[in-house]
Parts: sequence; structure tokens; C-alpha cells
Amino acid sequence: MPESRAGAWLQVLASLLWVPQAALIAALVAGIAGAGGPLFWFAAGIAAIGALRAGAEALGQRMVFRAARAGLTAQRRRAVGSLAARSPLDTGRPASGAAAAALAEQAEAVLPYLSRYRPARLRSTVVPCVLLLVVLTQSWLAALVLLVAAPLIPLFMALVGLRAKEASEAQMLEIGGMNALLLDRLRGLATIRAFDAVDATARRLRAAAESLRARSMAVLRIAFLSSAVLELFASLGVAMVAVYVGFHLLGTLEFGAWGGRMGLGPALFVLLLAPAFFEPLRDLAAAWHDRAAGEAALASLDALAAPPALALPEARAAVEAEGTAPGVSVRGLAFRHAGAAGPVLDGFELDIAPGEHVALLGASGAGKSTLLALLAGLAAPQGGRIAIGPRGLEPAALRGRIAWLGQQPELFAGSLRANLLLGRPGLDPEPWRRALLPDLPPDRPIGEDGAGLSGGEALRLGLARAVLPPGAGLILADEPTAHLDAATAREVTTALLLAARGRTLLLATHDPVLAARMDRVVRL
Amino acid sequence: MRRLVPLRQVVSLFLSQRGGAMAVGAVLAALAVLAGVALLGLSGWFITATALAGLVPAGALMFDVFMPGAGIRLLAILRTAARYGERVVAHDATLALLAALRERLFRGFAQPGIARALAARPARLLFRLSVDVDALDSVYLRLLVPGAAAVATALCAGVALALIDWRLGVGLPAALLLPGLGLPLWLAGAAERAARRRAAALEALRVRGVDLVAGQTAWLMAGRLPAQTEAVMAAEARLAEADDALHRLETLAGLVFGLAGALLLGGMGWAVAALGLPAPQAALALLVALAAMEPFAALRRGAIEMGRGARAAARLLPAMEAVPPAPAMLPPQGVALRLSALRYTPPGAARPLFDGLSLDIATGEYLVVTGPSGAGKSTLLALLTGEATPQSGGIALLPHALLSQRVELFQDSLRGNLLLAAPGADDAALAAALQEAGLEGLSLDSRLGEGGAGLSAGQRRRLALARVLLRDAPLWLLDEATEALDGDTARQVLARLGRRDGQAVLAVAHLRREAEMADRIIRLEQGRITGEWRRGKAGFAEALARLRPG
Repeated sequence: MPESRAGAWLQVLASLLWVPQAALIAALVAGIAGAGGPLFWFAAGIAAIGALRAGAEALGQRMVFRAARAGLTAQRRRAVGSLAARSPLDTGRPASGAAAAALAEQAEAVLPYLSRYRPARLRSTVVPCVLLLVVLTQSWLAALVLLVAAPLIPLFMALVGLRAKEASEAQMLEIGGMNALLLDRLRGLATIRAFDAVDATARRLRAAAESLRARSMAVLRIAFLSSAVLELFASLGVAMVAVYVGFHLLGTLEFGAWGGRMGLGPALFVLLLAPAFFEPLRDLAAAWHDRAAGEAALASLDALAAPPALALPEARAAVEAEGTAPGVSVRGLAFRHAGAAGPVLDGFELDIAPGEHVALLGASGAGKSTLLALLAGLAAPQGGRIAIGPRGLEPAALRGRIAWLGQQPELFAGSLRANLLLGRPGLDPEPWRRALLPDLPPDRPIGEDGAGLSGGEALRLGLARAVLPPGAGLILADEPTAHLDAATAREVTTALLLAARGRTLLLATHDPVLAARMDRVVRL
Repeated sequence: MRRLVPLRQVVSLFLSQRGGAMAVGAVLAALAVLAGVALLGLSGWFITATALAGLVPAGALMFDVFMPGAGIRLLAILRTAARYGERVVAHDATLALLAALRERLFRGFAQPGIARALAARPARLLFRLSVDVDALDSVYLRLLVPGAAAVATALCAGVALALIDWRLGVGLPAALLLPGLGLPLWLAGAAERAARRRAAALEALRVRGVDLVAGQTAWLMAGRLPAQTEAVMAAEARLAEADDALHRLETLAGLVFGLAGALLLGGMGWAVAALGLPAPQAALALLVALAAMEPFAALRRGAIEMGRGARAAARLLPAMEAVPPAPAMLPPQGVALRLSALRYTPPGAARPLFDGLSLDIATGEYLVVTGPSGAGKSTLLALLTGEATPQSGGIALLPHALLSQRVELFQDSLRGNLLLAAPGADDAALAAALQEAGLEGLSLDSRLGEGGAGLSAGQRRRLALARVLLRDAPLWLLDEATEALDGDTARQVLARLGRRDGQAVLAVAHLRREAEMADRIIRLEQGRITGEWRRGKAGFAEALARLRPG
């Protein structure tokens, strides 16, 4: 990042402009003390150099910030890309709350890290060295005092900072976890209220916040200790320089300067450079927390951006809709969920003729949902082969031709129409809305997760959404009539059969009425 | 500036909670800065004075070096100690306030009125909640503490210089406070709009991120995964723009303050020369002016946060003034639930859904409510659980447990999910409830994902049932208890549900098996009871037969 480096160097330059400014201040006081000189021009010079410093500082900050902001955008893009490429069956998939927290508010910590900590680090390596050389030209003893105080600082800070980083990483994790926890609890507020557990839950949240406080304070006490060490050395360094210079001027300590006693001007100049020598280190310490939070945030983003353990199968080629109902052939299919004891599917075989309607029956947990997910190309099977359509293509290449209806349709805050369309161009949701959701107007607002809809309505919405594209020749439905009353279940069944006319249909169900309407029943 | 008013309420709320610690923090902060100012000023005076004394042969002997030397060292140590103390005290106070705030806010949000709004947009509202709480964090740390320190510094520096010359004593605080406080105030106003856009963009990024992850399958199957990814990145682009606008303003304020500081220092140099001050006093005045500018730099970030804090305060204050909900009315002896002349119009509906609905359930009675979609069955349950409030009429019911249609499970251990229903239950009781619900294979220690992810629909249902079974409530409200269960398990579970003596049940049912053990079946249509059949009386068998088999 050249812009970032140039900006950081500009800030170094701004810090170094203090040298001529301090020289002018010292000259002014020496002039008042009797050395004389153009005092008012000294004052004007002090102001002019100060203005120059402010300008260089501001410009440098802007350059560094812009580069840092662009870097954050790139990081977020990588993380979002990886999240989208993860299979829904990946058990290591981050919870949506935690992922969004890492992506949104936690990632904001990257900015102070890149725009404040990094330049501060450069300043803290360059500026003290230069100032030390300048002080050395005036008094070797004063330079020695600073030299002795300075190297101890990075040493202490490194020791203290290491522990602060570990603690801070743990804390970041906990903040993400706590956000997820709150989101999770507020989503189920109705249940919490029904169980009179508001009080207990509130106390648990309080306990979580208190534990966060304890952890934060553990981090902060150490982080503050590092800045206290620095502050102490900086203060003592200035104090020792002042005391030495004072005694030197009195004639008590004659040594330490080049060629006899320093004048007032050089002495004040040395004193003014002493705090500036420590200032970059203090800035670095102040940005230390930015570093810990920033590096933890970068690590979280990197973790999100890491290649998923179970990736969505890539669609190798987008296939144009052929407009016909495809047949399905499953051979030797095997799948085991990560961390599960045994395979949920092992050597499974199934053939579905084009246009055939098949029901999958089986106990809960027998693998019906997994089979449907594999057929939809949500994950690649570990063994065996799925071939769909006359060309025997893999599911991932055919997602556009599959109508998917999950157990709980994912619904989003927005209008009914928006939930039906999901932004797909060229589709008209009206016929299917009228067929399946006649009571709900298209502009009916829907809450997150389908809040405000009954279970039946949510399911019908999901069905209407799935069968919207006319080219979707294969319908995969996971328990479509669960949660519906008899009349609605009949309606949905009728609608499903209507939608499935000329399409292939495979559904998992416990509903004997629905199963009886299929051409064939397969037991799992 | 009027937008900043809610901040005052927050500050007084903070003061009432942890006023002592907050004051200590501010005093320590001021002390640290003042020690630094005094250190530099005293050093400058000391060096100049010693230089002048050193010029006179006897001067060095007459000069008292002890007091200034010791003072310089003392100030150095004082500054360190005060700084460390301030940091620890102020941060601890802040975090304690935040912990208390979180709890208070959750309780506020758990009220029926707010809970309903929250139920529609939990992710967005929750995100606001946590962002707002964080914003209040900065009110004390970034605004009050540095503000108090800066003002104290300016005033004390003024007093010190007034001892040299009253004109310096007036001029320095004026030259410090005018830009030092004026710029942050200008910045707070100027940054308000960008800060609001930034908050909105961050919220959009957050919400779209949740939608992307939680709804990935829907986007994927609709072929819209790339589009949703781009929507997330569009929010990021807006956030970047707002971030940049804020940084521009902050840098501009810093630049102006830097220019003002340069003028102040140059002006002070001119003043000490023009006033003809003795050199040691001139050095002291210049160095005090130099050091006194430092604390004002910290105010800039506080100013950026000020608008955020004010908006957060405006949004959070109503929720914090939450009153505890009125306790539910208890029905008379022998009655488990009584509705009398209930009238309820759902929000946005033209006509009331319930208009004078009355219903009694006796203790120990098993009542099944049937009816088509939209008849008001779910709304009835919402009214009973206090999620909705009727416009008129009475609701009185015994303590109850609800099995809702949408099973709400939490990211927690299985044990934690069960304990919600019975906080005092031991593992044996929990395991027994799991077994009763047909989940004996699961370990209490197994962890559920977000919203109970990791369980199949049937398992979720059974876990929710186990929760209800655990709940020692004389009234159960069941919303389609055995949907999505296979026949055998459903029958087992139903057998458990009907076996407790004195247990009153209100069950919304679509399946025949759920109604088979009813003492009474009523049919609800458009908010009205259109049929009522008692076990053993005419029509009961026919009513059962009309239900969906299963």
C-alpha cells in the first residue's frame, strides 16, 4: 500500500517539524533572557511551523485512512464470498448472528488498527532515533539519559502486550458470542415469556455482561499497565533531563555537553525535545488496544474468509431450462455428517422416472432431509452418483431447474412480493400468490424469519416461491403439509399436484394422505 | 444541538448508578493532565532560572535546587499513578454501567408491546440495541472524562499564569477553550448526518449479512446468491463512504485545532516578549501553553461519538422506562381459563376478529379448538399468552405452559433449553422428561445451534414437548402438538399428555389423533364459536371424523 506508507511518512515528517519549532521557542526564551534577536520573527516562525505541522499531519492521516478503508472493503468481500460458498449442511458453518457480527461491527476495529496503530508504529521507530541524534549534538549526557530510558519501553510493552493480545482475542470471541446469544434469545421471546423466564434470562444476560466486564478488565488492566510503564519512563526521562540540565547550568554538573557549559538556548531546546522523544511511544501505547482489537477482528475476518470445510458444489456450467420434467437416478449414494457416528446414507439407490411423483417415508432422522439436500446440490455426496435429466447432469449444474421447499422456508423482512420474487427478474408472482396465498395482499409486510405469518402461510409462501420459475422441472419438498390444518393441507396438496403437473416431484412426508396422492412411495 | 438533549438524561442516569466512581475517574484524569502540564512548565522555569543563576558567580550557591528538583520528580510519578488509576476506574465504571444497561434493556424489551415489534425484526432491533449500548459506552469515556480533564487543565493553567500576569491568565484559557470546546461542538453537529448514515449502513450490512447466512439455501436455490452477496457489499460501499466523510470531518477539525494551537503558541511567544516578562516566567508560560493543548486533542473523537450517543440515548430511553407487566388475572376456583366478552381487532384489520368471545375451561378439562386457517386460533393463543392485548373483555387463566406452532429453541445445551421451562429441575427430572417426549437418545450436554439447529423437525417438536411436560403448570396451551411426528411417536406423546390428573389443556388441533382424548371440541370460524361437542354427546364422533386423519 504505497499511499498508506506515504501517509505514514508524512506523519513522521509532521512529528519531526517539532525540531525547528522547539529551536525557535528556545531561541525566543534565550533572547528574552538577554541573548537578543528578532523576537517577534521567532514568534511568527513558531506559528508558521506549527501550521505546517498541522497540515502535514492532516494530509498524512487522510492518506493512511483511505488506504485502510479500501483494505477493509477487500477483506469483507473475501469473507462474504467464502460465507456464500459454504454448504448449508456444513456443521461448522458460523451462526448467522456471529458471522454478521464479525463481518459488520467487529470488523470496524480494523480501521483504527490500520489507520492509527500502523502509522504510530512507524513514528515510534523513526522519530525517537532522529530526536536522539539531535539531542546528541547538544549534550551527550542528556542523549544518554533518553537512550537508557527508551529501550526499556519496547521491552516492557512487548511483555505486557503479548498477554493483552491473548486476552483480547478471547474477549472478541465473547462479544460475538454474546451478540448471537442475545439475538437468539430475543427471537424466542414469546417462548421465554410463556415460560415466565424473562427474569432468569435477563439475569443470565447480566451474568454474561458481567463476565465480559471481568474479562475486559483483565485485558485492560494489562494494557493500561503497559501504558503506565511508558508514562513512568517518559515522565522520569523528562524529569531527569530537566534536573540534569538545571544542575549543569548552575555549574554543579560541568560535564555532559560538548566543549564546556551549554547556553540557555541549547538547554531549553534539549528539554523541549525530551517529551517529544517519548511522545511517539505514548501514541503507540494509546493505539495498543486498537492493535489487539484490530488483529483479532482481522483474524475473525480471515476465519470467515477461510475455505469452507464442506463447500457448495460448484455449478460447472449453467444449464438452460429444457422445459421438461427430468428423471433422477441415484446410485450408491453415501453421506456422513461431520462428527456423526455413522453414515446417514450408505449405498442408497433410487430411480425416478421423468414426471413421476414420489413420496419418501421414514422415521425422523432416517436421512430423508439429507437425501433431498444432496439432490438439490446443497452438498456433494461422499460416495455414489446423482444424475438428473436426459444428460445425466449433477444437481449443482441444475439448481435453476429445481424447485426447493425446505422444512422451514427462509423468509426475510420485507413485502410478500419481495419474498416471493427474491429479486429474480422476469417472473410474475401473481398467479402463484393467487393460487396459494389468496388472503395475503402482495404488499403485505413480513417480519424477519417470516414473523407475522402462520406456519401454514409461511409454508405456502415457500412453495409458491419455489415453483415460480416455469423451468424448474424437479420439485423437492421436505414435509410440505406439516403444520397445516386438514383443509389447508388438502389445498396445498392440490396446489402441489397442480404445480407438479408436468414436473417431477420428490417429497419427504409423514402425511399418509399426501403420500397416497403420489405415484409411488419409497421407504427409507 | 437539540438532538443532544437525551444525552443529559443518560448522564444523570449514569450518575445515579455509579456517580462516585465516575467522578473519581474524571478527577484522576484531570490530575494526570495537570501533573504533565506542571512538569513541563516547572522544568522550563527551572532550567531558565538556573541558567540565569549560573551566570552570576554566587548565584549557583544561593539558588534553591531542592524544591524544584523534588517537585519535578514528584510530578513525574504523580502523572503516572493518576493516569493508571483513571484508566482502571473509568473503564470499570463504564463496563459496570453497560452490564446493568443490558439487563435493564432486555427486561424493557420483554414487555408485550415492545416484544411484538421485536418479534417482527429481531435481528435489526437487536443490532440497534447492542450498537446503542456500545455508543453509550463512549459518552462517559470519550466525552465526560476528557472534557472534564481539558476544562480543568485550561482553568488551572489560567490560574497559574494569572500569578505571572493577569492578561496571560485570561488569554490562555480563552484561547484554549474557544477552539478546544468550540471545534468539538461544531464537529458534533457537522458529523451528525454522516454518523447517522454510517449507523444505517452498518445496520444494513449487519442485517444483510444475517439474511445471507441464515437464508443461504433460499438465495442459492433461487439463483440469487451472487445478488445477495452484492447487496451485502453495496451496504459496505455506503459504510465506506460514511466512514470517509466522518474521517474527513474529524481530520478537518484536527487541522483547524492544529492551526489554532500554532497561533496560540506563536501568540504566547509574542505576548511574553511584548509584556517584557522575566525569562523564567516567559519559559514557564510558553511551556504551560504547549502542554495544556494536549488534552483537547482527545475531545475530537468524543465529539464524533456525541451524535451517536445522543441518538442511542433517544432510542433506548423509552425502553428503559419499562414498567413490569401487570400480573395475569386468576380465574375463580374450579376454572382453569375464562374469557369474557373478549373483543380484539388485530393491528391494521378493518373489523374485529373477536367480538364478544366468551369461553370457560374447567380445571382438568381437555378442550380442543379446531377450525380453518385464519379462524383466529393462533391469535387466541397470542391473547392468552399476553403477546397481544385485547381492546376490551377479560382474560383470566391459571399459570400455563405453551407449546407454540413455531418451535423456539435456543443456542444452548439441551439442558439449558429444558431448564428454561423448569429452572429448578435436576438432571434426573430433565432426562425423565426427555424420555417421556421420546428423545431418550439425546445427551443433556449436547449443544444446539442457533434457533435449535442440529435437530430434525420431529426432534425439535419433541424437545418442545419435553419442556411443556417439565413445566408444572395446571394449564397447557398446545398449538398442533404432534405435527411432523410419525404416527407411533405421536401416539406415545399424546398418551403422556392426557395422563396427568387435574391437568387442563387447551389444544389447537388439525389432526384427529390430537383431538381423540378431548373432553370437548369447539369449532372456531372467523373468531366465532360455530360448534361445540362434548364427549359422549351427540355429534362428538362426527366432529372427530371431520378432522384430518393421522
